[in-house]
Amino acid sequence: MTEALICSTEFGSFVDNTVIPLSLLASMATILIVALSFMFGRALSNAKLTLWAKTEVIQVIVSAASVFFIILTINTFCGMNMNDISQIFLETPAQDINVYDAAQEYLREAALYSHNAMTVIRYHLQAYTVLSFINAFQCDFPVGPIGIGCWYGYSGTSMQPLGGYGASIAALNIFFNGMIIAHFTALNFLFILLFIYKGFAFLFLPFGIFMRSMPYMRQFGSLMIALALSFLVVYPLILSIFYLMGPVVVDRPHVEFGDPEVRSFFNKQYVPDSSPDLDNYLDETVFPEQEVSGALDALGFVFGNVGDTIIGAQDAFSEEYFPEGPNLIGAIGFGANAFIAAVFLPTAALIAAIASVSYTARLYGEEIDLSRITRLM
Amino acid sequence: MKKVLIFLLMFGLAFAGWQQIAALSIVLSATLLAISFAVGLGFGINEMQMMAKEEFFQLLAALILIIALIGADGILNGISTNQGLATVGGTSYDTIQEASSAMLSDTRSEMASLMGRVHEYDQTISSQASQSSQCNIMGMGYTVSGCGGYSMLAPALSMSGGIAGFAVGEISAMTRFIEIAQAYALVLLLPVGIVFRTFKMTRGAGGFLIALGIALHIMLPIGIIFTEVLGETFIDDDASADYQPGSGSGTIADCEAEETGEENEENAISAYYTLKSELRKQLYVILVKATLGPVIALLMMITSIKALTSIAGAEVDVSAIARFI
Repeated sequence: MTEALICSTEFGSFVDNTVIPLSLLASMATILIVALSFMFGRALSNAKLTLWAKTEVIQVIVSAASVFFIILTINTFCGMNMNDISQIFLETPAQDINVYDAAQEYLREAALYSHNAMTVIRYHLQAYTVLSFINAFQCDFPVGPIGIGCWYGYSGTSMQPLGGYGASIAALNIFFNGMIIAHFTALNFLFILLFIYKGFAFLFLPFGIFMRSMPYMRQFGSLMIALALSFLVVYPLILSIFYLMGPVVVDRPHVEFGDPEVRSFFNKQYVPDSSPDLDNYLDETVFPEQEVSGALDALGFVFGNVGDTIIGAQDAFSEEYFPEGPNLIGAIGFGANAFIAAVFLPTAALIAAIASVSYTARLYGEEIDLSRITRLM
Repeated sequence: MKKVLIFLLMFGLAFAGWQQIAALSIVLSATLLAISFAVGLGFGINEMQMMAKEEFFQLLAALILIIALIGADGILNGISTNQGLATVGGTSYDTIQEASSAMLSDTRSEMASLMGRVHEYDQTISSQASQSSQCNIMGMGYTVSGCGGYSMLAPALSMSGGIAGFAVGEISAMTRFIEIAQAYALVLLLPVGIVFRTFKMTRGAGGFLIALGIALHIMLPIGIIFTEVLGETFIDDDASADYQPGSGSGTIADCEAEETGEENEENAISAYYTLKSELRKQLYVILVKATLGPVIALLMMITSIKALTSIAGAEVDVSAIARFI
């Protein structure tokens, strides 16, 4: 997993050497401009300018205090142990990780969980498609398994004896497409979180302090501070609470790829034992495609040993893919659960964070309509 | 130094219940407000004094919420165990969550059985439709596909499979939501939400968690029971005679691939009528119990989240989530 900046050993120096000096510089620059305005106001006897300057001094203090509170909250979250919180509310142990790591862990697990669901559904789709497209030719005038109608020519009936998986394939296709979306959504949220952790939101703070006190830029400056507050505090906080719900939401500890619970959906023979983490997602060699191709060879073996009619071989074919019986309903249910873990809950967290931006900006004195961004979600 | 202070703070919290943490949050928040008010008073900043006063009312609201939750625990449990709500179809359950869970489990079993039947029909129809007869001797011959009349039924069955699969997914998702509600709504989401709501910075998050907890715990199961009761009323009515759920008894006649006469055509038409009557018996389960019911219950839950977040102090427009449905 890529190392995040937040809560790392470098984080303190980043805050001390970059964020705080920049915020101080922005505060000083703003105060300087306000002081100059005040002096001009007094010199020109302009009451409006003097009043504006007095008001803006308070706003600079509010902005600087907000930055102080945000950094204090971040430090608190970095020191907070989710295991302690879990034991207080749920009386069950969790990992010893802080709020930010818990948020990241939840999205990592959601991505992994949706990927597991996608793999399970893809496996079923492959199995049913392979079975559907098996063609058989029964020669006329059969004597046992051999038809003498083909003795001198080619007389008989061709058919797809296992072709009746259209309904199952249609059902699985919906969920396979849904799982691709779910997996990408979880990764998308994870990358947004990493982007936040890498420090982009911190630079909004000095920018926000300065812009809030500039004429006509109060709304923009408020938005900057509200964005930093919502994405550094609210968004990870809600995700960290979802992390505590992991035993139900992502079936923890059965979320890892090699777990028997996940493997029970497959023919174990064709699934590797490795347990890939997020770094391996793009490594094709990890996934069972090349392993499952061996199933086709196995089908050939079964086909060669069929002593009964072709239709009677259905169970033998099916067992190659599903030795413990197919689990279509289970695969679909897995997909539905993954949708909740990877799409519904993270989206709800982001929507709450966006709503919080609007709410926080209102506290700074400006109404910001972010409903269009919510619709974009 | 900061980390030591945080550690010392958390050390004490590790031994506290959520009520103590909530009380501590209130005290901490009140201290911060008192400081803000004192600074405002000292420097003559009216805005700061007003903000402190306004926040004091929010603090009182949080305090009332905590007291209400401690009392409401009984009320929510009372609603959950209300026998009027938790008795469905003559069966009585301890809580509405258990009642809704049992209903979803029944519907899931019905859907699993239905999908099995759709697969059986699909299997029969497709294998019949795929047949073609060939005769080829010394490079001369013919191919006859006398079962083409069956192939028109396969797309309809695929569509049925897609709809039924979607319904199974909905039921599974609802079951998962109920599991989440049973495990976390009252013990995690609600108390944590109240603690977060105490502080201005996390008020939005707190309000959202409170709303999510109540909506999952109460509104979702009530929505499921409500649609179940509506469905039962419909099924008990004479108007539903054609849609009464039942197991299939129809058969699909075999096709002779080499025949091009009327017999195959009549068999295909007969198969069509068999499927038509069989699928009609499943419409209630697929469309009402497994598709429309969950949609209504989820909409009730999501709408209540919006309303409850508004009451809790920071409205969250969750209509975007409703679009998933």
